[in-house]
Amino acid sequence: MSRLRIVKFTVVLSLLAAAAAQNPSYRPDPDWRPSDDAAGKANPLAHRPQAVAGGKKLFLRNCAECHNKDGSGILKKHSADLQLAAVQEQSDGALFWKITNGNPDRGMPSFSKLPELERWQLVLFLRTLKLPSDTRDPVPER
Amino acid sequence: MLTKFVVGLCLLAPFSALACSAQESPYFVTYDHHMEEPGNLEIETLSTTNVPRSGQRFYFAPWTEFEYGVTARWTTEFYLEGQSTWDDSTIFTGWRLENRFRPLKREHWINPVLYLEYESINEADRIQKELEGGAPDVTSSNSILRAIKDHELETKLILSRDVHDWNLAGNFIVAKNFSHNEGVEFGYSFGFFRPLGTIASGSNCRFCRENFSAGMEIYGGLGSTLGFGLNGTAQYAAPVVAWLISDNATLRFSPGVGLTHESSPVLFRFGYTYEIQGLGSKLSHLFGGKP
Repeated sequence: MSRLRIVKFTVVLSLLAAAAAQNPSYRPDPDWRPSDDAAGKANPLAHRPQAVAGGKKLFLRNCAECHNKDGSGILKKHSADLQLAAVQEQSDGALFWKITNGNPDRGMPSFSKLPELERWQLVLFLRTLKLPSDTRDPVPER
Repeated sequence: MLTKFVVGLCLLAPFSALACSAQESPYFVTYDHHMEEPGNLEIETLSTTNVPRSGQRFYFAPWTEFEYGVTARWTTEFYLEGQSTWDDSTIFTGWRLENRFRPLKREHWINPVLYLEYESINEADRIQKELEGGAPDVTSSNSILRAIKDHELETKLILSRDVHDWNLAGNFIVAKNFSHNEGVEFGYSFGFFRPLGTIASGSNCRFCRENFSAGMEIYGGLGSTLGFGLNGTAQYAAPVVAWLISDNATLRFSPGVGLTHESSPVLFRFGYTYEIQGLGSKLSHLFGGKP
């Protein structure tokens, strides 16, 4: 096998493995919704883009185990694909509320133990996971 | 031989663990409402050491906790404990099995957690993971105390709240020893702490403020149904500090000051915690099951 074929094979295998690990079939829990007040909260770090780096560190430490390092979710764990429009269209306040409260019946723990600003840093980092042209729509809710 | 093996295990277990992340509260005695993340196993080695009063002997009491997140609302723990007393002996003092349940789904103004523990220990137990009833016997010899077995059921109501970046927690303890007629014993602990830094830096620094948290806890016995109150009880006020030394490990330290004559003048506590993320799914995968 030529070197080029080996490279092509490796790339295809890697893409297939990544696709299999992702969870594009994630369906949001319709009962897991913040109040309007909570959803309307603005991110106090919105004008501090340098805080994203800290958010990434917190994400890798606290979230990547279930949501994957790139946020694409893990099918076996039924965890949310954070790149999906269904997640990215939510307000900063809604994401902050979900990180704070968790959804224990679906396996998502509460992260209120993190300081408030660190939770906002996570929200800031989640925004960077949005795909440039998100063509992967979530499966319609049953 | 077995005793030395168990005490050695208590000290060495965390260093043999695999990998992942930890964000620990600095409390040694007080519980807050945060549960272990589902599927994660936390291995902790902790110890209690006293500065003795006259007539007391110096002791070192290590214990190991294996804490597993069964679900996001249920955490279970298993303990092995021992102690070594100066000029006496080193002995295994027993084991405990503990479960904590969080009844409410969301964060509330105050968050209750229900705690239930079975203890199979002996009277030589000196870890003082919590204090209930009066004060532990730290003057009698190990050979006498280890012969007195205790089978105890302990319940706690844990109330805790995160307000801004502070955690405030209170625990109310009710314990019944089925081996001896000691009545129903009571105890308490209160604590608060705060991380020293509230925003994460982008670098993987180990000494930045965000990796440290500090606070205080106060704990003690409240007597029993045979005699309720502070009379004859041990009481401590203890500053607590935690340092996240890596993504998966935390060091904790607490020098507790005795507030009554039945307390030791000072209790030093050290703790090392190592967390293995996703152990449940790793084991399930190993045995070919669904995670």
